[in-house]
Amino acid sequence: MADYPDRKVRDAQMRATINQKLVETGEKERLKELLRTKLIECGWRDQLKAYCKEVVRQKGLEHITVDDLVAEITPKGRALVPDSVKKELLQRIRTFLAQQSNI
Amino acid sequence: MTSLVGSSLENDAELQEAVFFELIDDLTLGLCFEFHRSCKTGSFFHDDVDEETMKQYEIVEKTGLDVFGQVPLKKPVECICPNCNRTLTASRFAPHLEKCMGMGRNSSRIANRRLIANSGKVDSENDDENEETDWPLNDKKNYPSKKLKKEKMVNSPRRATKSGKNKNGDTNSVHSESSVVSYKSTGYLPGHEALSMEERKQLLMSTCGVISEHTKKMCTRSHRCPQHSDEQRRSVRAYLLGGYHDAVRVRTDGNLGDNDDIHVDIDGYEDSENANSFRDVLHWEGSSANPSPADSNSTASTSSTAKRYKKSKQQRHKKSKTSTLVQYDNEI
Repeated sequence: MADYPDRKVRDAQMRATINQKLVETGEKERLKELLRTKLIECGWRDQLKAYCKEVVRQKGLEHITVDDLVAEITPKGRALVPDSVKKELLQRIRTFLAQQSNI
Repeated sequence: MTSLVGSSLENDAELQEAVFFELIDDLTLGLCFEFHRSCKTGSFFHDDVDEETMKQYEIVEKTGLDVFGQVPLKKPVECICPNCNRTLTASRFAPHLEKCMGMGRNSSRIANRRLIANSGKVDSENDDENEETDWPLNDKKNYPSKKLKKEKMVNSPRRATKSGKNKNGDTNSVHSESSVVSYKSTGYLPGHEALSMEERKQLLMSTCGVISEHTKKMCTRSHRCPQHSDEQRRSVRAYLLGGYHDAVRVRTDGNLGDNDDIHVDIDGYEDSENANSFRDVLHWEGSSANPSPADSNSTASTSSTAKRYKKSKQQRHKKSKTSTLVQYDNEI
């Protein structure tokens, strides 16, 4: 464990494992629901919608595709998340990981 | 697991962030689908409202005004009585209707008695019923003067004179009975037959008027009464107004077809009846200066009783008899 010769592979492995654990325990759904309500509360959804409207206006209502929207909005969505929400969520994730490692 | 997670703190934080962003991306993807769908269904810009309309429909938050910025009206709801066309406050409407139309438990009895008394009173002074005690109960405040006049002019006089004849003439029991049967079998309403054309028009202008199959009474609600269809109303009007003469013929044919002289009889009665009623109206106008309290309380005869009907029927036959005699004379 001291050395990481194939760090990337290990990282990917770890993520997969954690993701599996999150899904298996149902924690992922809980976190998502929490995040959704928090983000709606703080106006993140409305901000994104406004931005989305701009994008749609630029591209034209008829020509917009889901891929366009995803490409435009995903970075924006990450950037717009308020720090408080992010901190809280990270805290939750940390405790979850700690629980899992104790088991 | 422990070996995996228990790496350096830096790595830990990275992992957590990765998980977090994954969650965010999930949510964003969901939103993307949602927005795209609303784009394609055309509801995406529905909640877009420009400034102007926003101002126009802004919610007013001042005391004393409603959300539209209007002063709330304190005016009570008013109803129009379908029977006498009076406007009343909603709270007084039900009690008024009870009195005016003779609905409700007590009032129907009162109204019935009133109707009987009304037709019976003028002709035969020997009423054993003591209506006199009843009248103060339904005092005049329920009846507008406008309506009183109309009723006096159109309704009461005919009854009065008709029944007046009843006293003098000898009743032809055979004729009256057969005619009763004919009415029963065809389902015609005595109450409606007793009405003149003007009265019918008046009644049908203000009420639904559809004749019930069970009670054989006319519906006294407004034109928009939900219980009856427009079709029914139309047919009733056609029957009561347009097809008046036809209806009479059919009736006589159907029931008294084997009796030719009666057929002639009733055809004659049409004319004589009209003439009589006209004369009655004239006669009444002269004598209506001093109406009795009983008359002032008379209601529209939407629900007349069989008793009254019988009387009027007998009179008609008497009338028609005399008139046919005259007719025969003329023909000969």
